[in-house]
Amino acid sequence: MTLTPARAEARGGARGDGRPPAADRATGADTGLPHRRWWTPYLFLAPGLLMVVLFSLWPFVNTVVLSFTDAQILRGGSFVGFDNYARALADPDFWMATGNSVLYLAVVVPCLVLLPLALAVLVRTEVPGIGFFRSAFYTPVIASAVVVGLIWQWVLRSDGLVNTVFERIGVISGPVPFLTDSTMLLVSAMIVTVWKGLGYYMVFYLAALGNVPEALHEAAALDGAGPVRRFFSITVPQVKPMMLLVGTLSAISALRVFTEIYILGGESGGPGGGSRTLPFLIRQVGLGFSGETGYACALSILLFLLTLVFSLLGRRLSKGDEE
Amino acid sequence: MTRSQLTRTALATLVAGSLLSLSACGLGGAGDTKEAEKTGRVAGEITFRTLQLKPVYTGYVQGVIDSFERKYPDVKVKWEDVPGDGYNEKLVADAQAGALPDVVNLSTDSFQLLGDRGMLADVATLDAAVAKDYVPGAWEQFRLPGKGDGVYAYPWYVTPEILTYNQDLFRQAGLDADKPPTTVEQFFDYAEQIAARSGGRYSAFMADPKGRLPGDWQKMGVPLLNASRDRFTFDTDKAVAWAERMKDLYAKGAMPKESLLKADDINQLYGGGKLVFGPGSPGFVKDIRLNAPQVYAQTRVAGAVTGTLGHIGIYAQSLGIRKDTRHPDAAAEFAKWVTNGPNQVEFSKKATIYPSNAKGLADPYFSDRGDGKDAETLARAIGAGQLATADLDANTPVEWTSQVGDAVAREMQKAVKGDEDPRTAVRKAQEEANRLLAAAVRK
Repeated sequence: MTLTPARAEARGGARGDGRPPAADRATGADTGLPHRRWWTPYLFLAPGLLMVVLFSLWPFVNTVVLSFTDAQILRGGSFVGFDNYARALADPDFWMATGNSVLYLAVVVPCLVLLPLALAVLVRTEVPGIGFFRSAFYTPVIASAVVVGLIWQWVLRSDGLVNTVFERIGVISGPVPFLTDSTMLLVSAMIVTVWKGLGYYMVFYLAALGNVPEALHEAAALDGAGPVRRFFSITVPQVKPMMLLVGTLSAISALRVFTEIYILGGESGGPGGGSRTLPFLIRQVGLGFSGETGYACALSILLFLLTLVFSLLGRRLSKGDEE
Repeated sequence: MTRSQLTRTALATLVAGSLLSLSACGLGGAGDTKEAEKTGRVAGEITFRTLQLKPVYTGYVQGVIDSFERKYPDVKVKWEDVPGDGYNEKLVADAQAGALPDVVNLSTDSFQLLGDRGMLADVATLDAAVAKDYVPGAWEQFRLPGKGDGVYAYPWYVTPEILTYNQDLFRQAGLDADKPPTTVEQFFDYAEQIAARSGGRYSAFMADPKGRLPGDWQKMGVPLLNASRDRFTFDTDKAVAWAERMKDLYAKGAMPKESLLKADDINQLYGGGKLVFGPGSPGFVKDIRLNAPQVYAQTRVAGAVTGTLGHIGIYAQSLGIRKDTRHPDAAAEFAKWVTNGPNQVEFSKKATIYPSNAKGLADPYFSDRGDGKDAETLARAIGAGQLATADLDANTPVEWTSQVGDAVAREMQKAVKGDEDPRTAVRKAQEEANRLLAAAVRK
């Protein structure tokens, strides 16, 4: 192939001094190009930045602005200062929904950090037919929310699989109200979230486990360490950064949970709305003919702040680990 | 500060300022559009949006469009069909962006929202003479509180309420299948007897309060609103008695436990022979015939429970015209074409729906009872018969928005489950409903 002068220069071979052309540009050396502008990198970033600004930043700023108004759907609002925030703090529904969201996070995150790791360790074992299990564990991730909802309703309803089996073997005398009690509904939704998330985070851990040097395990085995000791002394420290990442991602997902509550608990969000999470409340407040856009935006900002707190917490933990 | 730093600061300020001013756009109302005026010339390209009619009714809709375009060669109709999921949300987004279709299929919720926000043309002004073409009540249904004599949509097809029940289970419960309930109280009495005799093998009806209210209260004579329609007034002894009875029946097993939260598996339960009363719509009877022939053979159809009202309400799908459409003549003519007698009758023969057009409803197809034994044929005749006497006072008032319905349902769920005293629940439901009503009427 014949190199054009430009290509040759791009490969750093035009002058034969081995100096990369990037160095020329950085120092403003004689490249035949006009003097380097500070905004050149931004020009390259512009298309991406434009997308971020249009689809993330602007809606976010819009949400912040609207949260200080009494706007409604298709109806302009006027500025009301911090009224929406004051209303939220005095609203029992807000505190109930926040409590449910935080409880969701407190239960789901440890499960989604630990169980997929255990699962990943198990399915890494090379035995015949293990591919089937890896695929099976991943199936819930790609299953549609509607299908998942139907399956779990059949499993958990008063005359569903779990209640029927437990009643037959005499473990319970009457059906457990998995779907008709606010707290039990929340627990049922958590089970669905964990069930759906297992396979997803298992893949993360499989990637992390692939980077753990086999020599470490072999050395430890030679020193007499058993599988349990090797797991806690080698595997866990090696995949700790991944555990923190999974913890942060699952915490964000847990705070945004909506679908599981909706498909199991209906439009009202459980009996009397007692299983509503913050995203559920935001949707309920913001949509419909009498939807209160301003108040819903204020609730969204509060949810954002809550998510930010947990994300920063995850980051701090991660930094502490690095140190 | 160097020159480049200055430029950077200026640029950042410009971006921040633009974002803030752009976001302030979100504060603007969307309803101050100028009403289009008719020119007398039926021409131009118009968009027509329907709700989930493809692919089942593609042939019918395209046929209606083609025949219209043949009659008015200067009009081009661009048809867009949108799935039911998120239909209203898409409408709102389009309305906010000023991109509403010229002719649009509206449900009750979207009609209220767009009509109230001043985004729909007054079709009574566009063509006053057309009112007489529709069944009484259907035309009036599209007036809006506080909007004078305007009518903001053309009535399209209607689905009347009927009563469907499993006669085999009726008999097993010791009830006479020839005497279906006619009042809410009688309906509850029947349900109590069903619960007592079923031994938990089947239930009477679905508990979901959102599906039962405010209809049950209207049929019991509970006043929903005051005369000036600015306050809910349903906190009455009758409403409390309803909640107490529901609580009692729920505890006795007259309704499936999970049906308190959602009623979307009613077809499955009824089709499986586990529910005595099925959904109150003629379309459901057809579904049961196709999906559960054995239960269909036991299905009886009767007039809806109407209680003290004595008649059902009218729930019509409608076609709205965008207020500032560029082609009001073409849009209005097309909406009238779609909703005219022959086109509605043809549509009703393909789907289990009824024409809101008076001439269409008079078609013998809707009064034919066959041999009096086939549930689907009877459902059609009974539904059409009920439409003849239907009136708007049995409709859910526009003030009872989806959010009011949700708020009331939440309190009633607590009462039915026994988590809250029924009287307290009704009082709290009314307080929340009034708060929402006050917020909705704020201008």
